[in-house]
Amino acid sequence: MNTEELYQQRLRRYLTALRNERPDKIPIRPFVAEFTAKYAGFTCQQVAHDFNLAFEAAVRCARDFDWDAVVPNMVYVWTGLTQAAGLRYYGIPGIHVPHTTGFNYIEPPEEEAFMREDEYDALIADPTAFLYEVWLPRVSTEIVKPGQPATYRSHLALVKSAMAMMVYFNAFGPQIQRLRTECGTVSAIAGIFKAPFDILADKLRGYVGLTLDMARQPDTVLRACEALMPHLAHVGLTTADPAKQVPIGLWMHRGCVPFVNPAQFRSHYWPTLKPCIEEFWRHGHQTMFYAEGKWDAHLDDFATLPERSIIFHVDQGDIFLAHRKLHHKFALSGGIPNVLLSYGQPEEVRAYCKKVIDEVAREGGYILDAGAIMQDDTSIENLRALTDFAREYGVYSGAPTDGPLLRPCDGADVSELVGLSDRPAPRVRPGVCLPWEAKLKELPPLSGDVDLLRRVWENVDALGNTYIWQLLLSF
Amino acid sequence: MSTPDLQPLYDAVLSGDAKTARAVTEQALSAGVEPLKLVQEYMVPAMGEVGRRFECNEYFVPELLLSARAMKAALELIRPLLAASGAQPAGRVVIGTVKGDLHDIGKNLVAAMLEGGGYEVIDLGVNVPPEKFVEVAQEKNANLVAMSALLTTTMPSMRTTIEAFKAAGVRNRVKIMIGGAPITQRYADEIGADGYAETAAGAVPLARKLAA
Repeated sequence: MNTEELYQQRLRRYLTALRNERPDKIPIRPFVAEFTAKYAGFTCQQVAHDFNLAFEAAVRCARDFDWDAVVPNMVYVWTGLTQAAGLRYYGIPGIHVPHTTGFNYIEPPEEEAFMREDEYDALIADPTAFLYEVWLPRVSTEIVKPGQPATYRSHLALVKSAMAMMVYFNAFGPQIQRLRTECGTVSAIAGIFKAPFDILADKLRGYVGLTLDMARQPDTVLRACEALMPHLAHVGLTTADPAKQVPIGLWMHRGCVPFVNPAQFRSHYWPTLKPCIEEFWRHGHQTMFYAEGKWDAHLDDFATLPERSIIFHVDQGDIFLAHRKLHHKFALSGGIPNVLLSYGQPEEVRAYCKKVIDEVAREGGYILDAGAIMQDDTSIENLRALTDFAREYGVYSGAPTDGPLLRPCDGADVSELVGLSDRPAPRVRPGVCLPWEAKLKELPPLSGDVDLLRRVWENVDALGNTYIWQLLLSF
Repeated sequence: MSTPDLQPLYDAVLSGDAKTARAVTEQALSAGVEPLKLVQEYMVPAMGEVGRRFECNEYFVPELLLSARAMKAALELIRPLLAASGAQPAGRVVIGTVKGDLHDIGKNLVAAMLEGGGYEVIDLGVNVPPEKFVEVAQEKNANLVAMSALLTTTMPSMRTTIEAFKAAGVRNRVKIMIGGAPITQRYADEIGADGYAETAAGAVPLARKLAA
């Protein structure tokens, strides 16, 4: 079989499982992050700071392991970019943490939160402007606040980090192509999304600050989550797979019990997340719920989403419970404990995989993976044991290997879904920084192709929007 | 002067009302109530009840956090008086997130719960090298060491730290407790830690058991 045939076979296997159906074999889609460095002989510093080495490491793993899909670079954060922007919230290997350790996210102390408790109204009024005017100068050691004297270093930090982002994102296309042509491996996800509540906790108020706000000004927090929804959904939609094959990644952090109480989940987290997921599904995009930590308390809520609209990924939660509660609607992935893969014996790995396959994967709709992303503590021998065992044991009989290739959205009826369509439009449209209508007022009378002038202004303006929202979501 | 009603202090800590906790403490102290009485008869039992409610899913981390802050607000007034009177804490804990790991939410919660349990807590912050744990534990004459790790990659630093205590010949002077998302009792046993608690609320009973 040539590489393209292998790719097509794996793509069909993966899509079939995403549709919660039974493929020929259980697809293997390990979220290998710094594991790739260990396997390829690089350090954590090398794959964090030089994305080309991270790409190379991912390709070497995909070439050598029989995996159906991988993420082109699951280390994901390129610390060269974060350093250029002067982002305070990353510990860079070799600078803030040992070079042999992966990068770390640093939550600022409560009193130095990147957004203050009395700044909600400004965030709600125009989230994009708030991010540029208030948030960015606070998260950066380089970029100065509007109104402060401009500096050479501030200009440099903006230009360098923006161009670095362009370079980095543009490198994904060729990397995805390399995975396909050199390894026959599918790029597992496309696009990024986070829940409004999580973004407030992670990057704006901090977990402690947001927890206090939930006690003191819960209605304001809710309005902020609502104000973020269309902008975050816009990022998800514009970064999703145009072919509508692979899911948007939703990285879920602090919205679960016990980090919030059940009432807060019901009042804030879920009502501002669910419509976004339905909006994606209305557009034919599935969402991968990467449920970091334990989300067992919320499975009944997730079960109210439209059939096939998500894949539920289990980290430390109970995969058997998730299977009982969700399998009738969605495919599942993950559930193999990272501690086992790092510190267990190969026979223990095989035994655990067997248990998961026997109980969760019987009827298809399961994608094999660890619970959390795999860092350099993951044992190569154990991951090989997982792969080999799944290929031997995870075989279904009677699955069609030809016929039309169905995507997750094919055949879904979304006509009744509302998503975000019934919500009032925000003052500044998602994806826009400086609206053309505002710019137009500053310009002399236009001549020639006015539509061209507008279109190019808006396309380039959208780059400014991409920069700040990607900084917030991805870096 | 009549003894003020101190039940509102218990209630304020339990409900996470920092303002009231501080106000009642202020009144009580100026009415001449023994600082140690406030701690031992009202605040520690209130935090004990917080822990109990957490264990049975009546309270969650937000409630834990608010109660810990209410207690802290009251303790700020009491601590200098306790120190002046020479009152001894329930124990002295050196706490930190291990080397290579910069996560501190869980560690801070455990520190707050231990303070609420009447312990003196010396917080070394994050990314703490093994030698630092050993050095400060000796210097402060701590009887407990608490280590946190969020990542599977940094779990081995717990082992290294325990080994550093052994190498310095002071392993038997401290009880070592560990916790964090990937940690299990099995791992604690394997690396020779004295105890493991699954939750921040569980850290206090564990500390009491270990130091008993």
